[in-house]
Amino acid sequence: MMGYHPLVKRLLDGELSLAELPPELRAEGEEALRLLGAVDRAPVALSPLLDERVMAAVRSHAASPAHRAWRWLNTPREVELRLRLRPWTVWAGALAAAAGLALLLGRPAPAPERGLATQVRVGLRDSVFVRFVLYAPGARRVAVAGTFNQWDRSAAPLVPAGTSGVWTTTLALPVGQHQYAFVVDGARWVVDPAAPAVDDGFGRRNSIVAVTAQGAHTL
Amino acid sequence: MGLEGEATDAEIVRAVLAGDVERYAVLVRRYRERYARYASRMLGSRDVAEDAVQDALVRAFDRLADCREPDKFAGWLFLILRNRCYAEQRRRQREGRPLDEADEMFAAPDRPDGAYEQVERTHALERALQHLTAEQREVFVLKHTEGLAYEEIAGVTGATVASLKMRMHRAYDRLRELMKEHLE
Repeated sequence: MMGYHPLVKRLLDGELSLAELPPELRAEGEEALRLLGAVDRAPVALSPLLDERVMAAVRSHAASPAHRAWRWLNTPREVELRLRLRPWTVWAGALAAAAGLALLLGRPAPAPERGLATQVRVGLRDSVFVRFVLYAPGARRVAVAGTFNQWDRSAAPLVPAGTSGVWTTTLALPVGQHQYAFVVDGARWVVDPAAPAVDDGFGRRNSIVAVTAQGAHTL
Repeated sequence: MGLEGEATDAEIVRAVLAGDVERYAVLVRRYRERYARYASRMLGSRDVAEDAVQDALVRAFDRLADCREPDKFAGWLFLILRNRCYAEQRRRQREGRPLDEADEMFAAPDRPDGAYEQVERTHALERALQHLTAEQREVFVLKHTEGLAYEEIAGVTGATVASLKMRMHRAYDRLRELMKEHLE
């Protein structure tokens, strides 16, 4: 038996009706429709015990030390900072920040959407401030989402540095390895061009930053 | 159902990630049947499909922190189940297990004698589907069992509409060949 005529395939695709087929193809069309008539669309009932089996596994995994450690590393915490500063250090810091920004803005025009997650300062024993930078000229909104904020697209917006196209934010991240990506205009996921990326197992790429007590590293 | 039934996927995912593990049961109830038919038709066995659905739900919990868009949990879970189905098929091929050894899941329902031929044809189609490539079987199942349009299938599989149509048209030809005696 040969394959179906292209018009009969369009009938099977729902793009033509039987009446629209040339008379010489009607018999082949009727035969093809018997094929679709054999499709079983009845629901498939699974064991009522499946729910309990899944939840037993879930509870067991949730109680495992590895899972608890992973969750601990990924759970955002409120961090209280107590600083005792002499006034001159504030001015020195402000000058250093201004110089850094001037250097950043004074560089030649970079390629679109260049980014960087870098250590800013080791602030706490189990948290490190990490600065996220993305060059995204033309973007209306930029945020960073990752394992540290449950991939919430609105939790960590970046702030534009004037009209230069550079967006930055600084987050306190717990020690551990974090996956993240930038979200441009609320919908477009962009990996950090300045950091290594891994496949997330579902066809997309995530950037990686490792945070240790000594600082943040892009592996 | 109560309030549980009204909670969105995103709300439940965030609650589970915050430590309320028991809320995950809501997602299990919500999606177990929805994806059972796809897995059954892809794997040709209800028992194997049940294992796949169970594994996918547990794996989704383990990787929940990687779910970038909790409001799209359903599609994310589908991709996990789909990967699991493909892995199962690769495992079967490696082990050289004939596809026809898959459990007979479609026990003939009680129907009038006049419908016997129809039941036989349905069984023949289920057996024939197992002789397609996994990609051909998937597009056939998603279109004709799950009722998705080509554009929707492209959205969940990442393939283009043109390549999906090509797979489907090859599947039609192969099914015609395999079902010859049941269609004439």
